[in-house]
Amino acid sequence: MLFRLEKRREPSQLMRYLTPVAAVVLTMVVGAIIFSLIGYDGIGAVREIFLTPLTNSYKWQDLGVKAAPLIIIGVGLSIAYRANVWNIGAEGQYVVGGLAGTWVALATHGLNGPWILPLMVLAGVLGGMAYAAIPALLRTRLNVNEILTSLMLTYASVQLIYYLIRAPWKDPMGMGFPQTRLFAEAARLPTILPGTIVHLGVPIAVLVALVAWFIMSRSVFGYQMRVVGTAPHAARYGGFSENKTIWLAMLVSGGLAGLAGVLEVAGPFQRMVPGFPTNYGFTAIIVAFLGRLNPLGVIFAGLVMAITFVGGEVAQTTIGLPNAATGIFQAMVLFFLLGGDLLVRYRVRRVHGAAAPGTA
Amino acid sequence: MEIIIPIIVTLVFAATPILLAALGELVVEKSGVLNLGVEGMMLVGAIAGFAGQFYTGNPYFALLCGAMAGAATSIIFGFLTLSLSANQTATGLALTIFGTGFSALAGAPFSARPIQLMGPLFPAELASHPVLRVVFGYSAPVYFSFFMVFAVWYFLEKTRPGLILRAVGENDLSAHSIGYSVKLVRYLAVLFGGAMAGIAGACFPLLLTPQWAERMTAGRGWIAVALVVFASWRPFRLLGGAYLFGLVMTMELYAKAGGGPLSAIPSELWAALPYLATIIVLVLISIRRDASTNAPACLGKPFLPTN
Repeated sequence: MLFRLEKRREPSQLMRYLTPVAAVVLTMVVGAIIFSLIGYDGIGAVREIFLTPLTNSYKWQDLGVKAAPLIIIGVGLSIAYRANVWNIGAEGQYVVGGLAGTWVALATHGLNGPWILPLMVLAGVLGGMAYAAIPALLRTRLNVNEILTSLMLTYASVQLIYYLIRAPWKDPMGMGFPQTRLFAEAARLPTILPGTIVHLGVPIAVLVALVAWFIMSRSVFGYQMRVVGTAPHAARYGGFSENKTIWLAMLVSGGLAGLAGVLEVAGPFQRMVPGFPTNYGFTAIIVAFLGRLNPLGVIFAGLVMAITFVGGEVAQTTIGLPNAATGIFQAMVLFFLLGGDLLVRYRVRRVHGAAAPGTA
Repeated sequence: MEIIIPIIVTLVFAATPILLAALGELVVEKSGVLNLGVEGMMLVGAIAGFAGQFYTGNPYFALLCGAMAGAATSIIFGFLTLSLSANQTATGLALTIFGTGFSALAGAPFSARPIQLMGPLFPAELASHPVLRVVFGYSAPVYFSFFMVFAVWYFLEKTRPGLILRAVGENDLSAHSIGYSVKLVRYLAVLFGGAMAGIAGACFPLLLTPQWAERMTAGRGWIAVALVVFASWRPFRLLGGAYLFGLVMTMELYAKAGGGPLSAIPSELWAALPYLATIIVLVLISIRRDASTNAPACLGKPFLPTN
């Protein structure tokens, strides 16, 4: 018995939404097998990483807090990737957004007022946009590949943190630690559920996704992004400027990454520290794909990746699984998803040798 | 001379992993495939090379471990992009995320356990000679990288398999229609790129810092990808490009060691310089001329014959 692939006339919508689910399930099965083979408790690893964060209600607030930045960045990336603009430097835009917010928080230290936090958020968004504007400018003016430039800027942004918190922004009371002072109350993101760590960033993330979904599916902007991505020639014919699309895609994805950065620094961190770059910007790439580049899908995908983050920490303490295992599971999800894309465009037909050539 | 020679020796060592990885990626891209997973394959090669040296103490075996691990990692990429026609950009990124996680997991038991650096290829009279060491003072992977620059050039320009590989990269449908297996050629190219990236990764613990550190390749794999564009897909230009980066990284080392005018600049700026230099180099190449003119026509596009 053989199988052969047959091109579908239309991409299968069912498969589009089924493959992300299948990718996660396959990751759990194959992950359990692989981790057992290399000498870990494979089934335990999968249970702790994928299920414990869901069944243990104490972990739900962690899920929300981890999912928020992933969703915000993932929404921006899904818009950019729709337009075939490969911004993979969201981590750097997240860092610069966080630094811009930190700058406002430090400059306003000692002042009080409800305007400080909005100003920080504005600075964060603008900081992320400005950092994303560099690859946008280089791509539109000089046709320099945005993948490499946005990624190189990410490495540079990490050094910028180290420099700022080692010298000009260093906490004078920090006993020599390279970090800024703790933000004043007015520069901290409030929690929305008393007694939990769930901060204002969580509802903001959901709101961002809903607004983005509405804009992408209902507005000319969304239409433009989708057309330029899927049919660049038709887009040019229809009068959509490719350069303008690149600019929009980079600014939106950079601005949202910057927003995530400032919300992180004002929320969970409350100061700038060397450990601020937490790979959210890279994991959000997986989130965007797993969410099928659809802002609503990104909400679910962000939650799934947040589960693996929280679960990875659980597995570290309960069964001694190194934290790096989380990255492997996340990459496996993306591998299975990308491989499964084949089923969106092709169907698998069974071929019974030469007996039934008519079915092929 | 007393200042110049140590600088040259240091920069050649620093440039070698980038050069090796870039040579592999060049062949991959010439076949029409864009593998952005170089950084991930390098990290897997680095931990495999470390483990090989740690357990056997034989650096040649360690390099072989790196090559095999890099090639094995590249099979994942090959299977997804060539057999399942998955998006190459996304798969390459996934490969880097995977390699980062896998190497960190495999390397966890080895942290803070030093290994022996690989010694020079030539006898000590030559290798430690104050002047002659600029020629003889390197270990085997450095000379291997020189050889591979020539070998890749010769293969691509002067041999029939090289011609077929370039044909596949320029026009996959034509190559397919005259009977060449596009998939086989691209699989072999991807495997070669993986092996080279693996050797390049193994050079980090064997040649540069004799220990395992998470993410120890620090973005050098991405710089290698950028170098291929910079060199407009020509092996000998890779040599110059890699040494330019070697010089930037050597200046960083000298600045960190302190003293002289270099240390007036914050050390973080030196650390960021290789990445900023990559951007500058990409800008310069695109100003000077249209860099894409020499790019393989099928680069990054999936091969979908209409059967």
